[in-house]
Amino acid sequence: MKKLALAAMLSVAAIFPAAAQETIDWMHIASIPEEVALMEAAVAEYEAANPGIDINMQFLENEAFKAKLTTLLQSDAAPDIFYSWGGGVLTEQAAAGVLRPVEDLVDPAVAEALGSGGMSAFTRDGHVYGLPQQVSEVVLWYNKELFEEAGVDPASLETWDGFLAAVQTFKDAGITPLAVGAKDKWPAHFWWSKLVVRLAGQDAFEAARKGENGGFTAEPFVRAGEMFLELAALEPFQEGFLAASYGDASGYFGDGKAAMHLMGDWDYGAMKDNSASKEGIPDDQLGILPFPTIEGGAGDPSDTLGGINGWLFHRSAPDAAVDFMEWYTSAEVASRFGNAGFFIPIAEGAADEMTNPFKTQIAQSINNAHWHAIFFDQELGPQVGGVVNDISAELAGNALSAEEAAELVEEAAADIR
Amino acid sequence: MTTIASSPAATAAPRRARRYMDRKSLVPLLLFIPPALILFVTLVVLPMIDAASFSFFDWTGYGPMTDFVGFENYDDVLSHRHFGTAVRNSLLVIAVSLLVQLPLAMWVSLALVEKRWSVNVLRTLFFLPYMLAEIAAGLIWKFVYDGNYGVLPTIGDAIGVDMPFVLGDRVWVMPAIMLVIVWKYFGFHMMIYIAGLQSIPSEVIEAARLDGVKKWQIVRHIKLPMIWGSIVISVFFSIIGALQLFDLVIPLSNGGPNNSSHTIVTFLYQFGILRMKLGFGGAVSVMLFIACVVITVIYRRLLFAREAD
Repeated sequence: MKKLALAAMLSVAAIFPAAAQETIDWMHIASIPEEVALMEAAVAEYEAANPGIDINMQFLENEAFKAKLTTLLQSDAAPDIFYSWGGGVLTEQAAAGVLRPVEDLVDPAVAEALGSGGMSAFTRDGHVYGLPQQVSEVVLWYNKELFEEAGVDPASLETWDGFLAAVQTFKDAGITPLAVGAKDKWPAHFWWSKLVVRLAGQDAFEAARKGENGGFTAEPFVRAGEMFLELAALEPFQEGFLAASYGDASGYFGDGKAAMHLMGDWDYGAMKDNSASKEGIPDDQLGILPFPTIEGGAGDPSDTLGGINGWLFHRSAPDAAVDFMEWYTSAEVASRFGNAGFFIPIAEGAADEMTNPFKTQIAQSINNAHWHAIFFDQELGPQVGGVVNDISAELAGNALSAEEAAELVEEAAADIR
Repeated sequence: MTTIASSPAATAAPRRARRYMDRKSLVPLLLFIPPALILFVTLVVLPMIDAASFSFFDWTGYGPMTDFVGFENYDDVLSHRHFGTAVRNSLLVIAVSLLVQLPLAMWVSLALVEKRWSVNVLRTLFFLPYMLAEIAAGLIWKFVYDGNYGVLPTIGDAIGVDMPFVLGDRVWVMPAIMLVIVWKYFGFHMMIYIAGLQSIPSEVIEAARLDGVKKWQIVRHIKLPMIWGSIVISVFFSIIGALQLFDLVIPLSNGGPNNSSHTIVTFLYQFGILRMKLGFGGAVSVMLFIACVVITVIYRRLLFAREAD
């Protein structure tokens, strides 16, 4: 395995032949069958309208995709178009020259429709490397039935103290308060990230990133760790959460076994898909809570955490790849996914017809956000982001002190500054 | 590093060199060596040199390597807070392989050496786990251990014991992984021993029996010494296999909970490759390689030498 990977890297220096004009390799990570069916239908439609172009869909599972991408992009098997969360990983890819700058190809009208925020998420040093497709937000999903059973008023979770009290009430009622897939680590990092968003806010976060005021060892970051530990001390997570993957936790919540799940809006579909019945929690029993506010926190109450995800072009991508993506991310196509509740499209007007109340509510909150923080493990890049994931899983398991956690993040951040 | 042919005695060297000059053996040599050599060089030697060269650079894996950092990566590895755990776990796996797995394999092979159909069935049964792909085996056992829907909690319920979520428990995760290792690989070692035992001439055993040698004494003084070569090889496979353990751990625990079940190779993968710190990963792999070479050399000196006698 290791040897194979290294052997694959040997081909790094190989010069890429110009890809055949007809075939576009498109790598995605969508695993919900209905969503994939919509994608396939879009491909068929585009191929019918553009004879001579063949779009070849390739699938990699989320974790495998992240692990393989570096090698893949530098090999002959690199896809022309691939999924991206933007952030620090995109910065590395752009700096290494594995991406194709497409600012000259993108129709200005398309760029305008996708919005300046979305476009800038895929722009580095003035070069556009991809097109945004969707926005996402991490919210506190909750199960209304379990709230009623334990006698918890959702409104009482507005503050962190109220939230902790509710967790305790659930514990006393014998209901698992929270589901988390800490084996994959990134689901746990949402807790740390949301606490940082609340406590530090945008200015302190950007300052820490630059190493000002002690970087990530500054007070709000240590405090975030402490508050995470306060929560962990209540043992709020499902039994065996450290061995649970995201899918396990999502299914656990979908099966109605946990009261809350801090997860992205995509969990609406994933929670159903991962549940034993494939039905998940019915819409009328499902609710969304904003993350509790924290007294004295520097963050704006409207701040959100999530992503601006889209599609990047490999340096071997043909012009037709950009043309296909312009169409695919447009309101015409993206709205189909939005209307079906798979994601919130970013293109202007694409989200207007969304009927899913949860997605509409989330779209609203992102629109109103003072700061839409990008997932920290993506934003900070793999080296620092990986450490953030590590310490978050460890804090969830009460296996690390808040000071140590902050120092580990700072150490990794200082390393790449 | 897995070539285990015993080294020729020093005096044989000149003779052998002369023999290679011989025209007759030169043709097959030129015919048969290149394919293996090319594969070995491109898939083993070159990547090894590559990894060694990464280890002196700070490199994300993208683009050319430019940032030379000397031995800094090695320093980072040695001072990494999880490296000690990974090394300790790998040593633990070696210990369990040698002290539990091999004796078990030996015991079973002594019982299953006879040629009967019922014995054949059992042998096949014990060998099956070895034929299973590592990832598949890992996923099967992940299900067995799963605290919500798994086999283990079901058994626990039946006997009225509250089973822990073994893969999410820092204490239980390594024993759980080691159980899978023993289950998966003891059949392989059993086969090596059975092959060895079957090569012992039955007359020798017969004669000992007629002389009134007890069963245990036959094992201790005749069978074990006569299959010494098989034992040496299986111990060697165990050690090197344990050091390279990777694909069972990934589906089972992914190195968790909280990085407590990493082996050296999963450590390399998690903190080197996934974090895009290929220099760091290169440094780990060079250290692992050196450890393997050192073990091989010492082992050959100690044991293969004894076998040659």
